[in-house]
Amino acid sequence: MTDPFIEVKELSVFYDGTTPAIRRVDLTVDEGEFVAILGPSGCGKSTLLHVLGGLLEPSGGIAEIQGRRLGGSVTGLPPIGYVFQDHRLLPWRTVAQNLEIVLAAAGIPKEEWETRIDRYLKMLQIDRFRSVWPMRMSGGQRQRASIARALAIDPAVVLMDEPFSTLDEVTARTLRQELLEVWGQSRRTVLFVTHSIREALFLADRILVLTRGPAEVLTEVTVDISRPRIYEDPRLTEREAALVDLVMEPWEHTAASGEAP
Amino acid sequence: MTAATGTRPAVDASRSRRSSWQAVAAAALIGVAGWQLIVWMSDGWVPGLDEIGVAVVENLTNVDTYTGALITLRRLGIAFVGSTVIGVVLGFLMGLLPSFDAFWRPLVVTGLAIPDPVYFIVAILILGTAETVSLLALTLAVVPFVTMIVLGAVGSRDRGLDEMAKVYRLSRSRYLTDVVGRQLVPGLFAAARTSFAFSWKIVVLMEALTQSNGIGFQIYNAFRLLRPYDMIALAIIFILIMQIIERAVFAAAEKRLLAWQR
Repeated sequence: MTDPFIEVKELSVFYDGTTPAIRRVDLTVDEGEFVAILGPSGCGKSTLLHVLGGLLEPSGGIAEIQGRRLGGSVTGLPPIGYVFQDHRLLPWRTVAQNLEIVLAAAGIPKEEWETRIDRYLKMLQIDRFRSVWPMRMSGGQRQRASIARALAIDPAVVLMDEPFSTLDEVTARTLRQELLEVWGQSRRTVLFVTHSIREALFLADRILVLTRGPAEVLTEVTVDISRPRIYEDPRLTEREAALVDLVMEPWEHTAASGEAP
Repeated sequence: MTAATGTRPAVDASRSRRSSWQAVAAAALIGVAGWQLIVWMSDGWVPGLDEIGVAVVENLTNVDTYTGALITLRRLGIAFVGSTVIGVVLGFLMGLLPSFDAFWRPLVVTGLAIPDPVYFIVAILILGTAETVSLLALTLAVVPFVTMIVLGAVGSRDRGLDEMAKVYRLSRSRYLTDVVGRQLVPGLFAAARTSFAFSWKIVVLMEALTQSNGIGFQIYNAFRLLRPYDMIALAIIFILIMQIIERAVFAAAEKRLLAWQR
């Protein structure tokens, strides 16, 4: 049996050394898999992604990508693509320049930049915006550029932190559909954080359901619906209802949880 | 319908320009009326607008005015560049390095509170009356203002872009120039304008206190010779020069560097 592509074992993160954000989380992801991490707002699912992105150090347990342990220096770690909730493009750089900056940082030879930029901007259908400043684009176009940036560096894994949560529903649906098409072409390993049950079911092969914060693993769900999927598929509705039933009680705010509603 | 939609912004822009000119004209009119009122109340000590007008023309045709202006501009340029460079470097490092900030902050805050003439007096007492000493004092007087503006800009930068830079492993130099540096541009313009404005005000004070040439000296000399119309005329001429530099250099550079915001 081969080692998992991403392995997280008993991972804990404490803010300020005392406040737990996530507690003893286990997760394994195979290469090319699309895994969603589902949890209520504020449960710590983004914290898990921060650890995998090298933005936070684990307080306990381990997190590994391709057998390389995270925490400390990023030297030698495989490249990681990250799509944030907001686009986080450099607004004073054009779309193409934003991609060039990360390509240079990832050590991609300069001769390959043009081809890669063309390929991913076309894949995300924003090639006509290559010389445009991000502030002159719509929210959806910016997020497309952010996804193109993440894919252009040939990342070992693409981490996506609720990338469509700030978009209107129609744009978000279009982008979800397009993300699956892009994923189908690139077959990158994707870890997708969301609080939307429907979104997780539509996108993922597998869903890791977390509890309220501090996050622990509540259950793991395999989405056995063939691709391509349709957002309005009644099988998705059925599984959504079942998942809502499952999380209703654990996600519900209680006085004992001590958190604001 | 299409034509109407297309001309709408042009009509709005034209109205906005007209109302802006009307506001300027109204302010000028009030200013002139206020000045004339002061002239009537001052028993002849405050020169009238006609006297000032004549003095402006006379000074504009006098070569000494240009010689003095060039001397002052040279001093102003040295102090501006010196205080901007030192203030930007200090503010940048204080914003990024907490230990550096802990050491420098009390000194910078103290520097802000020191009255400008004290810089010159102390510098003269310690180092003498040479022009370089005055320029050093002038630079030191402006540095704290620039530092605090840059420090504020570094502190209020978008931390989300810091995370982006970290996750994509941008090099240190790329991070400092393209992520932090570019976010500081509006703050740097504010700092440069502050530095320029303070340098000009303080250089005139410095020339009046310690030098025997330059516009500041000429203004002070006009005061000693009881020629208030020359004082005001020289001030008006130099204010106009400052405005031309502000618009030709700062406004043009700002328009170019912040074009992505529009």
